[in-house]
Amino acid sequence: MPQYELVNSKLLKIVLRSEEVYAQKGSMIAYTGQVNFARSYLTGGGIQNIAMRAVTNEGWQMMTAQGSGEVFYAQSGQMVTIVPLKGETMYVESDSVLAFDRRLQTGTMFLGSQGGIRGLVQGAATGQGLFTTTFTGNGELVILSDGPTIALDVNPNNPVFVDPQAYIGHRGNLQPNLHTDVSWKSFLGQTSGESFQLKFTGQGVVYIQASER
Amino acid sequence: MSNTAATLYNPSNLPSNDNINDYSYCVDVRGQMFVRNGKMIAYYGQLRFEALGSVGLAGLINRAFNSASYVSDFIVINGQGKLIVGDNGNNIASYNLENGNLTVKADNLLAFEDTLRCQESVVEGYLTIIGSGLFLASSCGPVMFAVPPICVDEQALLGWADTPCPSYRYDYSYVQSTLSHIGAMVGIGASGEEKQLEFKKIGNDDMVLIQSSESNLRGRDMLEKILAMLPGLDHDDAQAVYSNLYNRIHGQQ
Repeated sequence: MPQYELVNSKLLKIVLRSEEVYAQKGSMIAYTGQVNFARSYLTGGGIQNIAMRAVTNEGWQMMTAQGSGEVFYAQSGQMVTIVPLKGETMYVESDSVLAFDRRLQTGTMFLGSQGGIRGLVQGAATGQGLFTTTFTGNGELVILSDGPTIALDVNPNNPVFVDPQAYIGHRGNLQPNLHTDVSWKSFLGQTSGESFQLKFTGQGVVYIQASER
Repeated sequence: MSNTAATLYNPSNLPSNDNINDYSYCVDVRGQMFVRNGKMIAYYGQLRFEALGSVGLAGLINRAFNSASYVSDFIVINGQGKLIVGDNGNNIASYNLENGNLTVKADNLLAFEDTLRCQESVVEGYLTIIGSGLFLASSCGPVMFAVPPICVDEQALLGWADTPCPSYRYDYSYVQSTLSHIGAMVGIGASGEEKQLEFKKIGNDDMVLIQSSESNLRGRDMLEKILAMLPGLDHDDAQAVYSNLYNRIHGQQ
């Protein structure tokens, strides 16, 4: 399997031995050895997935790198975090994904189906797509963030509340709900992430960044 | 494997009143504290958020927030929990006051405990924090601490402790030059090399705080504030904003 390593906080190295990785288009900055690059649109998922991606802009273009050697990736000075998945599902917006390989299955998730109407409101609140990309399996997923990623543990005793604009993604068995503070009406006419919060309950990890988008 | 595992935080291993990284800070909330609007990025525990205009806060505001111009910039957080604060990727630093006073640029003040009192400084755009307790300030780049006497570029100045009010100092040749006369007529200001704030040394604890950049904080301009408000609109409000903007853009052609 490909080896993922951070050269520094903003630079990723992947070691390939006759293997293949998928990475965000335009993020390859150098490579050694015999590696071939090709465009790729989809990795798994059926016809429904293709339609969804077309509708939702979650159909981002990727490049596959195949061969043997070392490939270096970096994207717009953003910080890089390697997330090891152990059979869980990670939910993340596609533009925050830097690289992964075929040990992970990708899918497109309609957030509305997870929380009914609340999911819809959530999409409106985050200003991000109602559709998000999912990764499931055993392997590494490399994500990008503006500033360092902060990983917050969630268990049934410790739900976490997150500003939608600071949210990057989450993994595990979590239920995201829109949480509106009781006194939120007093915020009308003011800027405040506080009036809308995403409340995550269950078991898993939520990833946030210090810089609101 | 150390480089693959980002620290996984939970309420018991999050820093206690300390930085998580240069751009985020974790506050142990026990009771009440003032936080700049929109700078909460996550929290564990039982916390409530109230606007300063809310009923029931009058006593607190009377005691701790003596600054009418900035009322809408802050909210009161109430309860027990771990609060993570972030400010658009600006650097965050904390300051512990013990029966002291520190004046900071109003835009940079991020949060302060209710044991402190916040008043407007006589220097416009600055707030003076008086008393004992913790407060947070953001800055563009890390903060440098300097001991007076010192002259500081106005844009780079973050604040000062104890020192009596600073005064403007113009470069002598600038005052003499015709440029300054023309500038005064057409409204061109002097640059940091020509006009500085001068701090005299008065007491032993005098301190000046300087940010490592002359740029403004990220996320403080009007457009960013408006965009941050949009998620709070319901469908009808959003529709009204849309048609208003549509008319404005297309009506002017």
